[in-house]
Amino acid sequence: MRIVLAIVLIVITGGLVYTLDHPISDLPAIGKLVDPINGCWANAEPTGKNFTTDLKFPALKNNTTVWLDDRLVPHIHARNDHDIYFMEGYIHASFRLWQMDMETRAAAGRVSEVVGKKAFDYDRKQRRKGMVYGAERSLQAMESDPRTKLMMDAYSEGINTYIKGLKYRDYPLEYKLMGFEPEPWTNIKSALLLKYMADDLTGSTNDIPLSYLREILSPEMLRLLYPETIAGSATVIPAGTKFDKPSLAIPVAPKDSTFPHFTTKDFKEAKEDGIGSNNWALAGSRTKNGAAILCNDPHLGLHLPSLWYEVQLQSPGMNVYGATLSGAPGVIIGFNDSVSWGFTNNYRDVKDYYLIKKVDDDGSKYWFDGKQMSYTKRLETIIIKNELTYVDTVNYTTHGPVIYDRQFPAEGGLKKPLAMCWMGHKATNELLAVYLMNRATDYESWVDGILNFQCPAQNMVYADRKGNIALWGQGQFINKWKDQGKYIMDGSRSATKWGDLIPMRENPHILNPAQGYVASANQCVTDASYPYLYNGDFIEFRSWRINQVLSKTQNASIEDMFALQNDTYSTLAASTLPVMLKNLSGDFSTTEKAYIEQLKKWDYQLKADGAEGALFQIWWYFLYNRTWSGFSNVPALFYPLPERTMQLILEADSGKTNIPQLAHLNVLMKLSFKEAMDSVAKASNSGLAWYKVKNTTVKHLTNLPAFSYDHLKIGGWGNTVNAAKSNHGPSWRMVVQMGKEIEAYGVYPGGQSGNPGSKYYADFLPKWVEGKYNKLIFLPNADTQTNTNLIYTWTAHQ
Amino acid sequence: MRLLIFIILIAILSAIAEMSFPWWVIAIIPFVAGIFINKKGGASFIAGFAGIALFWLVAVLIKDIPNEHILSRKMATIFKLPNYGLLILVVTVLGGLIGGLAAWAGSLLRKVN
Repeated sequence: MRIVLAIVLIVITGGLVYTLDHPISDLPAIGKLVDPINGCWANAEPTGKNFTTDLKFPALKNNTTVWLDDRLVPHIHARNDHDIYFMEGYIHASFRLWQMDMETRAAAGRVSEVVGKKAFDYDRKQRRKGMVYGAERSLQAMESDPRTKLMMDAYSEGINTYIKGLKYRDYPLEYKLMGFEPEPWTNIKSALLLKYMADDLTGSTNDIPLSYLREILSPEMLRLLYPETIAGSATVIPAGTKFDKPSLAIPVAPKDSTFPHFTTKDFKEAKEDGIGSNNWALAGSRTKNGAAILCNDPHLGLHLPSLWYEVQLQSPGMNVYGATLSGAPGVIIGFNDSVSWGFTNNYRDVKDYYLIKKVDDDGSKYWFDGKQMSYTKRLETIIIKNELTYVDTVNYTTHGPVIYDRQFPAEGGLKKPLAMCWMGHKATNELLAVYLMNRATDYESWVDGILNFQCPAQNMVYADRKGNIALWGQGQFINKWKDQGKYIMDGSRSATKWGDLIPMRENPHILNPAQGYVASANQCVTDASYPYLYNGDFIEFRSWRINQVLSKTQNASIEDMFALQNDTYSTLAASTLPVMLKNLSGDFSTTEKAYIEQLKKWDYQLKADGAEGALFQIWWYFLYNRTWSGFSNVPALFYPLPERTMQLILEADSGKTNIPQLAHLNVLMKLSFKEAMDSVAKASNSGLAWYKVKNTTVKHLTNLPAFSYDHLKIGGWGNTVNAAKSNHGPSWRMVVQMGKEIEAYGVYPGGQSGNPGSKYYADFLPKWVEGKYNKLIFLPNADTQTNTNLIYTWTAHQ
Repeated sequence: MRLLIFIILIAILSAIAEMSFPWWVIAIIPFVAGIFINKKGGASFIAGFAGIALFWLVAVLIKDIPNEHILSRKMATIFKLPNYGLLILVVTVLGGLIGGLAAWAGSLLRKVN
């Protein structure tokens, strides 16, 4: 009997151990995870941890020192270029390894390898977009320049040195939760990360929607609702700026129609709503201190671990501080001891679609100028966890990869073969721009640097200690004919192909304008006098507000700049609400009357706890949708911009409109107000407050609520300077005063450590929510430091 | 008194073993101990349970207290538990259960011999 019981017990214990040692569907192996020595508890970082350490790396050329300040920002002091990037890689990996791994997997379409088939469609789209193809081409460019080759090699070496020293117990927590392991870093991963940013910033394009709208709207209506530029745009390069004569002739559009017609009426591409950013610089004539001030807040997806990681890098000839991308060497946005710079996205269209005419019954050829051309085939191998590996053949045409076809229809079901022609496929070396900017000593050397920055195109703002300010609409653009690439083009003719590259020195730019400031916020780049033709996806509200404030700013202090970055004044509300209220009449309940009175007294600030902001935004939502729903079968995703809608409502109020829904504003206002009141009633159960309605959330990359923060008490919206939306927002607010002493402030919605078990995981988040800043410690380039905020030291010996 | 010594012995041996072996040594050590310890099934179970529970509880607290429960709070949320205290209790009991069952099985083998 005993032996039977013994066997039963052994089986039970063994079964229990086996079960807990293996993942069950999406759950990790629980036993491994809760093991107090090697499991999740090993990631519980003591809050008083002493980070000071001695390291030994034979790969270093000289001894290297890292001082960590009280916010865990590393200040790295190296004696040569190799060592500085080696240490940057080592440090990125030390604090952000899992994030770097996941982001490069996301770029490369390798997420299915670790999460299984649920990521398969995502991975397949990444492959078909040519992400890996583009990264491979850029890597060639980066590795053929000795400066960027050294940068990447040393950086990868640093990361791999860190990875080699890891035992399971040291793995970032997310590896333990997801059940996979770090793999060695290679240079292609850094190239992929940069392509990931390029895709994020040039990814959305209106070509497909506009091709559809062209079919259903008259040309007049198309121009009225979707104008190339919004009237009254306060352009990136101030209106009236004199541009040099173009060195290239402006091409003439081919005579016969070059845009294919579509009969399917139901295709669509999910439109990514407003990834925006702000930057501006004030000349000394407008500041209290007399020094130029530079400000930047790029708006990106709000995630933890944060996209950005703060670093100071010191080596001979370089002393730079700013925001780095973990996964790529160098400082992306920041300042050095001479110059400062910041980016916003420049929405000129650099991604076009071509309809491919296949040769019938032959899967390997397509028509081009009456000739049969063979595709270049590229095999994309997608490894899927717990499933068979999938190999996708992607056809490359003379324009680029066929992203959509019958096997992989566009969202909404367009099955015709569309090839994508994207600047991100070119062999560009943005890293060289980073290398040179980080070392720039004056305006000329900074410009020499940014001229290597080709994709994603950025509005690059500049300020230096000599008092210069500048703004460049920088990127590599094509000399296009009118409307080239605005719609899906006929891919079977060479007449539609991308032509010459515009020399980058001829990109729109301005140095020290008379107005004493420069500003960009994703608005239209130039007035009509710019000689080259372009279209794009521009938005205006934040630009209008920033220009309104800066044009009146005198004696600006750093605090004034904080206030403007955190400004929640809604230009949309200020312009539209009076008209909405004026045209609103009818019988209202006591509560509704009280709301109307509240709105009449409102200062148009979308404050976090304000009820008026919630009332207005909800009402506007219904007004906007009511205006366009049912209008000529325009699908909701392609409704005209709110900017344009606002202008059309104002025009309708003054008596002229072609839009049927706007002909009777009183009806429209009443119906939309009543609709809004139903939602307001629901929202007011928990106290009507704007931040509760919009729910700004900073999510961990796994979407685990336990590692995320929601309902953050922050004001603003996409149409205000403080563009804190539901899951997008200011990802790095920076203000730098370029005086004799550089005074710099910054904050991002996260923390320096990627470890959810660290007190440094999201410690900047409360400050970011409240609009407060960290003072950035910018150390002199020296072997020893006296700053008392430096509390830990890493000494790395050869 | 001897039971207490066994408990501490199992706890210490398991802790040393887990430094370099996977977590399931918390089944192996009590199992082997069960074979050699001259105790009845019930007492062996108690020795194994208490030994591993003691080891895991102390090891967790050594990590959790200096961490000020930052991680345990989040992990409790992931496991849908109301607070970190309960998470620690569950982990302790889980470890203890495996240790206890293994020790009991070991003790039965000895009697067979």
